[in-house]
Amino acid sequence: MYWVSVFTEAGIFAILALGLDMVWGWCGDFDLAFYGYLALGSYMTMVLTIGRPTPPVEYIIGGRLPYPLALVLADVAVVALAAVIGAIALRNLREIYFAVTTLGAVSALYVWVENYTPLFDGYNGVYGLINPGQTLLRLTYDGYRVGFLGAVLVVLLLAYLLAQRLSRSPFGRMVRSVREDERASAAYGRPVFFVKYRAYLVGAAFAGLAGGLFAVFISAFNPSAWTPQELLLIYAAILVGGRGNPRGVILGTFVVYVGFIELTRYLPSPASRPDFGPALRQVLIGLLIILMLKFRPEGILPERAGGRQPRRPAPGQAPGLAAGPPAEPAGAVAGAGPASADLADQEGGPQ
Amino acid sequence: MSTFLITVGVGLVTAAILALSAIAFTLEYAVSRVANFAHGELLTIGAYAAYTGQNYFHQNVAAAALIAAAAGMLAGLALNTSVIEQFRGRSPATVLIATLGVSLIVQNVLTMIYGAADVSYSFAQGGLHHVGPFLWTTSDIEVILSAVGVCGLIYLLLQHTRLGKAIRAVSQDRALAQVSGIPARRVVMQTWGLAGAVSGFAGFMLADTLGTFGPTLGFGFLLLTITAAVAGGLGRPYPTLGGALLVGLVIQIGGAYTSSAYQNVYAFLLLVALMLLRPNGLFVHSARAVRA
Repeated sequence: MYWVSVFTEAGIFAILALGLDMVWGWCGDFDLAFYGYLALGSYMTMVLTIGRPTPPVEYIIGGRLPYPLALVLADVAVVALAAVIGAIALRNLREIYFAVTTLGAVSALYVWVENYTPLFDGYNGVYGLINPGQTLLRLTYDGYRVGFLGAVLVVLLLAYLLAQRLSRSPFGRMVRSVREDERASAAYGRPVFFVKYRAYLVGAAFAGLAGGLFAVFISAFNPSAWTPQELLLIYAAILVGGRGNPRGVILGTFVVYVGFIELTRYLPSPASRPDFGPALRQVLIGLLIILMLKFRPEGILPERAGGRQPRRPAPGQAPGLAAGPPAEPAGAVAGAGPASADLADQEGGPQ
Repeated sequence: MSTFLITVGVGLVTAAILALSAIAFTLEYAVSRVANFAHGELLTIGAYAAYTGQNYFHQNVAAAALIAAAAGMLAGLALNTSVIEQFRGRSPATVLIATLGVSLIVQNVLTMIYGAADVSYSFAQGGLHHVGPFLWTTSDIEVILSAVGVCGLIYLLLQHTRLGKAIRAVSQDRALAQVSGIPARRVVMQTWGLAGAVSGFAGFMLADTLGTFGPTLGFGFLLLTITAAVAGGLGRPYPTLGGALLVGLVIQIGGAYTSSAYQNVYAFLLLVALMLLRPNGLFVHSARAVRA
């Protein structure tokens, strides 16, 4: 049963990672707000299904909708939030300005949810068993856990097929062309903002979906469950697996969640210091991120260009850029140029 | 005594600490062109160093402040050598993620050493004083005066020393500075040492003002720092002072009328307004004057 829950969690986070990869891997925007989307999806799913709050607990809505409907509505709410944040952050802001704005957005959301109790009961959070279909299918508790793992894996498979299809579609190539060289892409008539915006919204929808599943998995959600640091684990997973490659992203999530987390459970933690072990694990995750970025930024399964062109060495990756600006991006945009994991230096900042 | 003016006084204390933190952040950006998301951890390291040192130096505030600055300087140098220089020539976003990784590492190493629970200093805050329209504790006044003093020193250093000239040259164009005979790598290193020392000092003052602090002290201050630095125009130290003043006042006044817990919300709203209206900084006159 223990492994069932590990794989369930990994499966849910793989869906989140697929969504995040559309923003970071495909568009090249480093977003820090994504855990907020998962959180909102989770909160909304709960308040739509667990019924009226009993005082002193308070939260909005308190519906008793069937789970699938709640999932859809929660996802709509998430996409609406992402539409606002994306509209602010994507229009002119790139690189660090984008990252800072999304960090600000998630901090503001976090502070608001934590302190404004009528929303999701503030720091205490919302809890309640959802377990959709358990009574319908007459499952035991254990049987239910296995069944839910199956459901998560099915959703993950569908999400993967959708991501893979999008990735290979003309839209996927357009997104990458924008990432490789925004100006050239704009010169070829690509609507840069809307391309990024659409990818952002699809990514956020994945995150909201993961949140809805997460609500069932942990049946409680409070602000301590979604500090911005959690998101770094997802970035580590994408980095390990292969940024921009849906298959790699899923592989990376399972490697990081199942392999890394489980191996580091057995780290020593003195009885007097319960924080020690978890903290050491976080340190290792930080090291993993830095080392991957330094030595293998393309991950285990590197991104491929549309599945047609042969791979060629990524531009801008050559060592010895010690002094002087990096070489100019090679020529005009060629539809789907193979992605350098380290994106060609766009002009940072507002344009 | 109007509450408003007391709030403005609190805002000035916040702004003083913020000014140091944001100037350090902007100096790091100026010479290395990175948004250092581990900047907050330099403050945290300074705060914890002073916490460790306070027992050895018999509650001497000045000694604690010096230890904080020294620890911050070492941390800044180490960060530059081990990460920032290693990622030179990579895209800004890549370096940003790496510094976020550093932030995660430092926070958790501190948790491993000191535990996740909050700690506090045992320095006396001193009595309350009426200074003009404001009401400040002795330590508030010390914070403001020392921040003004440090800013003055940074100004003198940047404008009137060889190192300052070299820092300004490298921040304009590192390659060009290098071919003009300026040892760019060393200048960048020294800038990080300076920024680290200023950050460590700011971290000590922040922790002392707040009373209690934990391993996420600096990370929580990062959003405010970046907002102030962006308001000044990234990489430009002097306008950053104005940015710090603006952010300090906005969050304290906004917080006073709702709840101080909402400070980050006001910082975010201010940040969004800046990003949408004046992404190059508040005090830039023409669009061409970016990245001086």
